[in-house]
Amino acid sequence: MEAASVTHAAGRAAHEGAPSGAQAGEHGEHHGPPPANRSSRVEPQLLGMLLFIISEVMVFGAFFTAYFFIRVAQGDPWPAVGTTLPVEVAGVNTLILVSSSFTLHWAEAAIKRGNHFGLKAGMVVTFLLGATFLFIQINEYANIGFAPQDTAQATIFYGLTGLHGAHVTIGLILLLIVCIRAFRGHYSPEEHKGVEIPGIYWHFVDIMWIVVYLTVYVI
Amino acid sequence: MNVHTPDSGSSDSRSGSRRSLIFAGVAAVISIAIGVVLSYVIHWFPVQASTQAKETDTLYHVLVIASIPIFVLVVTVILYSVWQFRMKPGEELKDGPPIHGNTRLEVLWTAIPAVILLGLVSYSFVVLNNNEKKPAGPEIQINVTGQQFEWSYEYPSSLTGGAPLKSTQLYVPMNESVYFNIKSVDVIHAFWVPAFRLQIDAVPGITTHWRATPDRLGSYPVVCNLLCGVGHSLMRSAIHVVPQARFRQWLALQANSAPGRQ
Amino acid sequence: MIAASIARFRGPGFYRAALGFVLGIAFAAAITWVIRAATGHHTFPHYLKGEAILVVSLIASPLFFLVGLGGFDYWFAWAAGKPTQPEDHSSHGAHGWKDYFRINTDHKVIGIQYTVTSFFFLLVGGLLAMLMRIELAQPGAQFVDANTYNGLFSVHASLLIFLFIIPVFAGLANYVLPLMIGAPDMAFPRLNALSYWLLPIAGVMMLSSFLAPGGAFADGWTAYTPLSVDAPVGQDFFTLGVQFAGASSIMTALNFLVTIITMRAPGMSFFRMPLLVWANFATSLLVVIATPFVAASQFFILLDRALGFNFFNSGNGGDVLMYQHVFWFYSHPAVYIMMLPGFGIVSEVIAVKSRKPIFGYRMMAFSLLAIVMLGFTVWAHHMFTSGMAMWIRIPMAVTTAIIAIPTGIKIFSWLATLWRGVLHLDTPMLFALGFLTTFTLGGISGVMLAMVPFDIHVSATYFIVAHIHYVLFGGSLMTIFAGVYYWFPKMTGRMYDERLGKWHFWTTFVFFNLTFGPMHILGLQGMPRRVATYADQFATLNLIISIFSFALGLSTLIFIYNMVTSWRGGPRASANPWRAMTLEWQVSSPPPIFNFDRVPTVVGGPYEYGVPGAVHGMFAPPPLPATVGAGSGSGGGSSGGSGGSGTVGGGANPFGNE
Repeated sequence: MEAASVTHAAGRAAHEGAPSGAQAGEHGEHHGPPPANRSSRVEPQLLGMLLFIISEVMVFGAFFTAYFFIRVAQGDPWPAVGTTLPVEVAGVNTLILVSSSFTLHWAEAAIKRGNHFGLKAGMVVTFLLGATFLFIQINEYANIGFAPQDTAQATIFYGLTGLHGAHVTIGLILLLIVCIRAFRGHYSPEEHKGVEIPGIYWHFVDIMWIVVYLTVYVI
Repeated sequence: MNVHTPDSGSSDSRSGSRRSLIFAGVAAVISIAIGVVLSYVIHWFPVQASTQAKETDTLYHVLVIASIPIFVLVVTVILYSVWQFRMKPGEELKDGPPIHGNTRLEVLWTAIPAVILLGLVSYSFVVLNNNEKKPAGPEIQINVTGQQFEWSYEYPSSLTGGAPLKSTQLYVPMNESVYFNIKSVDVIHAFWVPAFRLQIDAVPGITTHWRATPDRLGSYPVVCNLLCGVGHSLMRSAIHVVPQARFRQWLALQANSAPGRQ
Repeated sequence: MIAASIARFRGPGFYRAALGFVLGIAFAAAITWVIRAATGHHTFPHYLKGEAILVVSLIASPLFFLVGLGGFDYWFAWAAGKPTQPEDHSSHGAHGWKDYFRINTDHKVIGIQYTVTSFFFLLVGGLLAMLMRIELAQPGAQFVDANTYNGLFSVHASLLIFLFIIPVFAGLANYVLPLMIGAPDMAFPRLNALSYWLLPIAGVMMLSSFLAPGGAFADGWTAYTPLSVDAPVGQDFFTLGVQFAGASSIMTALNFLVTIITMRAPGMSFFRMPLLVWANFATSLLVVIATPFVAASQFFILLDRALGFNFFNSGNGGDVLMYQHVFWFYSHPAVYIMMLPGFGIVSEVIAVKSRKPIFGYRMMAFSLLAIVMLGFTVWAHHMFTSGMAMWIRIPMAVTTAIIAIPTGIKIFSWLATLWRGVLHLDTPMLFALGFLTTFTLGGISGVMLAMVPFDIHVSATYFIVAHIHYVLFGGSLMTIFAGVYYWFPKMTGRMYDERLGKWHFWTTFVFFNLTFGPMHILGLQGMPRRVATYADQFATLNLIISIFSFALGLSTLIFIYNMVTSWRGGPRASANPWRAMTLEWQVSSPPPIFNFDRVPTVVGGPYEYGVPGAVHGMFAPPPLPATVGAGSGSGGGSSGGSGGSGTVGGGANPFGNE
């Protein structure tokens, strides 16, 4: 198995190395590096995004640690006495955000089939759904009736939802870039990594919201 | 430009002669002996002023004595290798024998340290338990408050028989278990009595505890051992261990002279 | 004339970066003003007091600076949907010294940028330590006041941890890791450039806190709450500096992981990777998983400080101890982030300099992974005296004892690698052997500290100061010196002065032990750490420590002199002066701009010294059939000096410099 892969790779390197070897006489002047060997089937960009998401999950993990200490370890009432959380509004908002994951998937499926209109329409709808979510969230802050300075429970409520809101914002910027590039005619059935990889981030933002919603609002 | 095949077990110095190995072994044993003697000669700690201190110091000595052979082993192997296996003139292109590993050896140096470590950590839990368990006899309580940058003490009504007594002085009776309730009003401090080998942080919002049975008369430093701001290095106090009768006497005296007593 | 100067500000570079910096401050002031006005904070003089503006500036101006420098140019063009341009490699490689002062995507240039920058911060941090030792030479206050002193040790620790040890390992690995696995560069060269440039920003930010009103941040590199929440504005320089250093660290770790996983040369299976690559793989996993926690812990502090949140306000239900849990959940793994790459360096040096295969290669790799996993289960051993729930101490003490086992496996394996080798006792090897002794001591005191009753006595004393310096100075820094000397010929194309190198080792080793050894006793005797003054009983030992610490500081000058003069005028280094088998030594010194003219093929393990005919990697197809298959496992082979031909494991004249 090992030996087979070596000879195969060596053969490939031999094949690819031939043209660049001819120019290698005066190195430093020849243009570009030899193509790197690909030692894994996974795309580097995809792997990078997945690792980045691990980091992001850990950021949320730290905030959930704070939540755990304040709500569980301290045993303070949740939400703080005299405050209520708008569970229903946030529930509707959850549906909005979750549905954006489906429209995003639709856009991805469209470009894989070469349907540029589907890509553009799907991306725009996804972006608008995300923006609606963010708008409702900000509106919720404005009307919720308590401030993060009031109690530790309020602090961690704003902390977790705010952290998530920041991630929605980052996700929206990524979606916006995908939209711009889609309208400028960038993607094709062969080359759509630029849609998929920001898309993974957006799905992560959605899933994270479900966790936040369940822990902060529902439980 | 030529490949030297490794020759094992020949007259070549690569394997080390039996005589030099014996010498290294003897040197290692002597070093261990010297180390153990030194570990008793050196005054590592301040005086022991509590029963807990005795237990902790014994633990420390056990740890040191367990560590010395390990350290000597590492250093002996390094020095012996440097002595016996260093490159000699003419060996510039020579390679060592291609030894890739030895499963038995690797199992041994995983298992033996594991046993030693788990033994030591179990022993430390025994010491911890002895140091922290409530003694059979009576126990008094004293409340300690840390603030930037001084310690204050409160003797509760169970001690004074009347209103609680606040003081900046810390007196404790000899041979009687004392349970300290430690609080902070601002930032984190650490209530440390080196002579007792005991400390714990004073944390705003919670009360922390340790207990000690002082068993030596005298005055010992109380030190704040957690950075608490600009005055941290001078946040010191003293603990006075006095005979039980004198302790009650002191309490009564303070209680009578304390201003604002109802 | 005017057009030319405008053009200067339009293209990427320091002019535009300076402009960006200024614009960043203006932007911060504007946005602060708008938000404060919108939320009903009116009083005008308050804007001029400016703490809010300062905090926003500390976030905005570095980012604007990077935009000006050109760190985001490619991505902006990409985001705007411009047509994709073929890579012209114009930002790759260095042709002169100026190329080291711009955004450069060549991992070799970035490696040197990283290494030199972090050594600069080593010198600054060391200088701060000298100032501390002046103050501590006698009890009482003579030289600086307590607030300045607290700032000195806080900045000292923060710089040396976040700006020296962590990034210098990233720098060395940046240089050699792609070469070692046969890759032409890192997976994401632009990200790599950006993660370097975040570093000087973090360092300058932490250093400039000395200029802040109220002095530098003064509550240690641990920044325990609530002290740090109420601290003067200098604290913000730490809180935000850590964010930049942490972001840099995470980005580099992502890059390493993706590079290692996807860009290994054909035949380079995981178990043929050099242990340095393994070590950086393990470290990067730790960074990716743990570093977000320190970022979050400082976010909490920032929110509490700037906006009055209640994370740590016990009066409003906040939890003070939560900070320590979150902080140490990063900062204990961080200890391994600061140590594992050093293990990798030592494995390289000891195998090559003993002319033997590393003993127990697989166990060496597995023990790294074991440390990664166990590293996440021991954080609360920093909190035995913190007042947390008592029962947590028991599992944490057990895991802390257990984590010594994989570390012990590594030490014993290195010792076994020495056994019966042909030891070349030159400078890298001396530092590696010095590391083995001092790190063993640091490890032993670490195991002692796992024992709860003992830890209760010495926690936060000078015993801890001694322990962490045995681990980070005697451990990490020794391996860093070993690595710098070992790869100096590769990175600069020059040989260092061996005699000065040996002087450097012996002075460092002796004065290190004389400086930090006695601190163990100080701690046991009852001297707390982080104190500007101390009880008179500790005076003698402190004076002795101070004197030796100055000697230790001076020993670094030998190193600097050696590095500078050797880089400028040392003898030319051959491609492979150490006759090493790993791939970075099979190309010229310094390597060609794209590392390899063709990607090598790996056919064997990296440390097959003494195995007749063993080959680690070869360049295929063989351009000169004569040089192939010469069975040159150790000695022979053609010169192959310019790289790109010849078998691996051969090399140039090994007598070049000895």
